[in-house]
Amino acid sequence: MRGLVKPAWIAWFRETDAMVGAIALAIFILIALLAPTLAPYDPHEFSGRPLERPSPSHWLGTNDAGQDILSELIYGARISIAVGTGAAVGTVVLGILVGGVAGYAGGAVDVLLMRTVDVMMTLPRLPLLILLAAFLGSGLLQTMAIISLLFWPATARVIRAQVQSLRGREYVKMAYNFGAGAGYVLLRHILPQIGPLIAFGWITAAGRAVAMEAGLAFLGLGDPTAKSWGLMMRFALNLPGLFLTDRWLWWLLPPGLCITLLILALTFFGMGLERRLHPRLAR
Amino acid sequence: MKSRVAAYLLTVWAVLTLNFILPRLLPGDPLSSLLDPESSEYVFDGEVRAALEAYYGLDRPLLDQYLAYLKGAVTGDLGRSILLNRGVGELILSHLPWTLLLTGTALSLASVLGMLGGAEAAWRRGTSTDRLLTTASVIAGNAPVYFVGMILLIIFGAELKLLPLAGGRTPFAHYDGPLSAAADMGRHLVLPALTLTLGLLGTKFLLVRNNVVGILGEDFMLVARAKGLKPRRLKWSHALRNALLPFVAHLAAHAGLAMTGAVFIETLFDYPGMGRLIFQAVGARDYPVIQGVFLMVALVVLSANLAADWLNLRLDPRLAEEARK
Repeated sequence: MRGLVKPAWIAWFRETDAMVGAIALAIFILIALLAPTLAPYDPHEFSGRPLERPSPSHWLGTNDAGQDILSELIYGARISIAVGTGAAVGTVVLGILVGGVAGYAGGAVDVLLMRTVDVMMTLPRLPLLILLAAFLGSGLLQTMAIISLLFWPATARVIRAQVQSLRGREYVKMAYNFGAGAGYVLLRHILPQIGPLIAFGWITAAGRAVAMEAGLAFLGLGDPTAKSWGLMMRFALNLPGLFLTDRWLWWLLPPGLCITLLILALTFFGMGLERRLHPRLAR
Repeated sequence: MKSRVAAYLLTVWAVLTLNFILPRLLPGDPLSSLLDPESSEYVFDGEVRAALEAYYGLDRPLLDQYLAYLKGAVTGDLGRSILLNRGVGELILSHLPWTLLLTGTALSLASVLGMLGGAEAAWRRGTSTDRLLTTASVIAGNAPVYFVGMILLIIFGAELKLLPLAGGRTPFAHYDGPLSAAADMGRHLVLPALTLTLGLLGTKFLLVRNNVVGILGEDFMLVARAKGLKPRRLKWSHALRNALLPFVAHLAAHAGLAMTGAVFIETLFDYPGMGRLIFQAVGARDYPVIQGVFLMVALVVLSANLAADWLNLRLDPRLAEEARK
């Protein structure tokens, strides 16, 4: 029952997922930072014959152009993490701006902005993403911009609710009465309170952005020159008869596994953070 | 409900307008390159070119173009495919049934499994079974569907060779009757549908579990228990039943997610549905098809949302009361 004291191991397990997520995330970031040192070759260099099997000189073999797959994989971490970070920053900044203004201003501005948010939240995201990517062109910056443009409403909604509730608190009203300006109140009293929400929104957005970037590349809408995990999977799947040999084992599986692990790392880390924010959820 | 319908119409209008503005607003207007004889993407088929020009009416004022576009959208005239020289509406009609079959199967399976699993996990909350199921569904719900599909494809298609690798049915197959045709389509459906089911199952399971956990703490559950009802009755007719209301709204929201998943899954499995259509269109920069599919999917998702709102009002008298105020 809910009232009973829970055994300690459950509490420990609860925190373990956040720990595992944080450690995995740190490993991915390290790989991305150290890519030039870790990777045996330049991922664009034709370092072997096409479609070589794994060997001591190419641990994961080579792709159809004769490029080292392991090096592609290591450099791919940079793209996923860069797009994830960038798109998440864009999402959160837009979310804070819209949510902050709506919650702070109230009235007609609030109604107008929140109606926009409602409409944007009901739009089907992936088809819109595809439409935008098809028309905007396919660079990493475009990918980040498109993801930010589509995912900010959820953050805006949360931020608005929090700002609105903070605005009505006694100590905030008090600050006004002592003659504090809007900028001072926002920076001094409201921002610190929404900090954890921003962190959580950022992690969630980063997870989605990583998945979407890989998905777009997989569909052929990503940057065709960037060595991303999604693009690696696309090229592997384009090889006729990929599944007739065991080539998928070192070409298709590793990038898929990397994307999944990175997303799960972000998810579990975010879940730990969420529990800190809303202890009630940890039932 | 009236305000909901108004919001729905507003959103539909936003979708239609976005679909109209985007190609005109963005740099590198794709149509000009299709109509420019110097360009590498020049459309050589004179008939298609004429149809394109006429459809987009690029020489007319913007407002005229917009009104003509709205009229076309309402009457179901979505333009012509540049790649296949067929009407976009006709293309969508031939691909939509496959997607509906796939998403319908997966949504139903995921709903049933999510409800049963969620109620069971909530009933045993805090035990290792609960932890295991919860963690598994977080993983299943967050792993990209294309990766899950890939694993299933490798295991059941490539290694065990139990199921076909790709397609909606065997090419050039000769069927003895409708039964053998259905069996063939069924065999092709298993892996894509299973992949989508797994992708949708995670969130459904978590939602039902958390709802049931909440309901188990309600007073009426204590009363039911005090009456001496059997645990089975408590679990299924009292706890799960009351947890189903929020599930309905969620189901509609998930129609959109199912469509999203379907795009990746159909690409991976070469399944002949809407996802496959949009994938081909993207590859060939076949803009009328991309726009048409976007419009279609948006309308399906929005209608599902509206239907869920309506159903929720019917199912929960408390909400209807609130809406009347």
